[in-house]
Amino acid sequence: MDRVLEIGGFAAGYCGRLFAHSGYDVVRIESLPAPRGWVSQAASDYYLHAAKRRVETSDPSLIARLAAEADIVIAEAATADSLVALGFNGWQTPVKVSITPFGATGPKRNWQATPSVILAMGGYTNLMGDPDRAPLTLPGHYPEFQSGAFAYTAANACRIAKQKNTIDIGMLEVVMALSQFTTVMWHCAKTIRSRHGNDFWTVVPTNLFRCMDGWAYLNIVPTFWDAFAIFLKRPELLIDQRFKSNDLRSQNRDVLHRIIADTIAHMARSEIEQRAAECRVPVGVVQTLSEVLDDPHLKQREFWHSVTNGRSTIQSPRPAWKIHGDALTELQLTEPESTHG
Amino acid sequence: MAKGPLNGIRILDLTHVWAGPLATRILADLGADVVKIESPTGRGPRSYGRATPIGGWIGGTPGDDPYNVNAVFVKLQRNKKSVAVDLKTGIGRATFLELVKKADVVMENFSARAMPSLHLDYPVLSGANPRIIYVSMPGYGMDGPYRNRVAFGPSVEPLSGLTNVMGYGPDEPRNTAMALPDPIAALNATSAVVTALRRRQHTGHGALVEMSLHEGAAAFCGPWLIDHQLGETVERLGNRHPNMAPCGIYRCAGKDDWVAIACRDDGDWQAICATIPGSLDTAADLDKRVKTHHTIDQLIETWTRRYSKTEATAILQEANIPAGPVSTTPDMTSDPQSIARNFFVPIERGPTPIPGNPIKMNEISSADWTPCPKLGENNREILSEWLGYSDEKIHELESSGVIVDRPPT
Repeated sequence: MDRVLEIGGFAAGYCGRLFAHSGYDVVRIESLPAPRGWVSQAASDYYLHAAKRRVETSDPSLIARLAAEADIVIAEAATADSLVALGFNGWQTPVKVSITPFGATGPKRNWQATPSVILAMGGYTNLMGDPDRAPLTLPGHYPEFQSGAFAYTAANACRIAKQKNTIDIGMLEVVMALSQFTTVMWHCAKTIRSRHGNDFWTVVPTNLFRCMDGWAYLNIVPTFWDAFAIFLKRPELLIDQRFKSNDLRSQNRDVLHRIIADTIAHMARSEIEQRAAECRVPVGVVQTLSEVLDDPHLKQREFWHSVTNGRSTIQSPRPAWKIHGDALTELQLTEPESTHG
Repeated sequence: MAKGPLNGIRILDLTHVWAGPLATRILADLGADVVKIESPTGRGPRSYGRATPIGGWIGGTPGDDPYNVNAVFVKLQRNKKSVAVDLKTGIGRATFLELVKKADVVMENFSARAMPSLHLDYPVLSGANPRIIYVSMPGYGMDGPYRNRVAFGPSVEPLSGLTNVMGYGPDEPRNTAMALPDPIAALNATSAVVTALRRRQHTGHGALVEMSLHEGAAAFCGPWLIDHQLGETVERLGNRHPNMAPCGIYRCAGKDDWVAIACRDDGDWQAICATIPGSLDTAADLDKRVKTHHTIDQLIETWTRRYSKTEATAILQEANIPAGPVSTTPDMTSDPQSIARNFFVPIERGPTPIPGNPIKMNEISSADWTPCPKLGENNREILSEWLGYSDEKIHELESSGVIVDRPPT
């Protein structure tokens, strides 16, 4: 199995997580101050760093020696220049992956960024939130985690090919690459996609509605319209000329939304879930974090991995894929080892 | 054909909509030989041109073959080949199984019951090729109490915990309304494929690899779910950040013009105080900045309103403060950074810049890339090269409508 050296914050940490959960020998260098995350340091450690060996050092010669012994190095840095300052260019590792906010080249290679800056520049923020208010950023670590997944994919691809390579991943390009139809909408339909609150806008009805005990999201693409009317117990909608097509539903969006809101308001989430399953319509209820942790579907599918640090054990999501026949084992979270050479 | 480390890896791609095709596009950009297995009506009927699709037409007009120029479809298919075969016929299904014998990976994102109903589930495929890696991406997975539920990205998102955390405030949950579970699933799929391929290098065995939109989105929320177990409070904070202050999206001078600004630490705060004139308290630590966030926001926005989003960004970046404009597509495609790194790739019909692959490495160049194939464009090539079918046999398949290069009328 490959030896993987990991240096950096949430992107490198996430990439290393994927390697560690797949059984690779991952050594994490804890040399840089931890970037500010959305959660406690303990939660970050449990999520990202279980099953890794962690070494606390800022000794460049030791890091270079570890890089020389590794098959893959994943190095995340705040800017292109700080990547160079790490000594990245001199390391002789067969597969080297750098992750920086804007990539290793280009006029903005040394710009400063956080996830909210990357999401803004990458086109996501402009699409989220209400049209008459400030756009809304996405909480969490989407640019970093997706960059880590690209790094994992690229590094493994090189190892499959037994190829030596240096890989440059910029988080801004990661986010831009994951646009849905924003770019072609502009270039081909001459429309700048904009934000509409919870409304997906181009497919009607697709929105969040308040129910008796929370919220439910309906995503009724045209093929589900008939089933949706049955789900809603409003069969008269099927013969209502205002709603005969997605275009007409779009034109009569406000009227339709009022009808739906009035109906959903009298339904509990459990009833919504039951009827959505029976009628086979794409509807999801908003779950609290406690409810996600207790979700019977996730439990039955063995979604949770036990991670222990010797004193306590928490449930952490396993990687989102599972290879049938491979068993989950409890993972250990260890403290960093301090070293001076 | 795209050059890259996955040259020689053959992938049969039965995916549709967004998550699956995005995954296979990323793998195709890395050099995998991706053959899109399409149903004759998979791109819509021949009369598709009556309604303009969401993303318009590649080249601006539907032309004679509208089913081949739907921009939302086309943007996800570069570097792939197309075989249009009717899997609902016995001969079509048998032809597909012959292709499976020559392939490394099969990927699909149908509902959990679709492939079994075609008698093309993993036991059948692995019977044809024990080394096959079969990647199934149903919305809620292949088993469990939700397995038969219908799923799309936006309807799955609320079950992940994300909607619980995202929004303007405690009583205002927001959905991204952009199907975020899909791009998350796409990267999970590419990661899964390379994991299974490396596993096969070691064991010699194929695999059934399964993932769901639901679990991908829930895994993304993992840090919050763990923090919750540790007794921490996870709040819906709008554009603020629990461990950075100030942090926000601020209005600029233009119409719907906004700039994102974040203060990571005390060093950034000193730079902000030095750059933005006014009564900002240079001595304020994080706790104090959190407590006075509203006042700080007002002072920052008084300043940002004097500038365009690009002007404000330039001034702040000059002082090493994390800042960036809230960009639209024209902003992104004209960004000097994107241009310098040749990120947008105009290889499709008409001047249509489509996002490139963020993996930059030696050997990979968009100069080698090929545009989205037309429906069934590679029928003959693939059946001949992979299976050694004669012209006569291929002609029989064409005549009987098992393979097509245009949808039925």
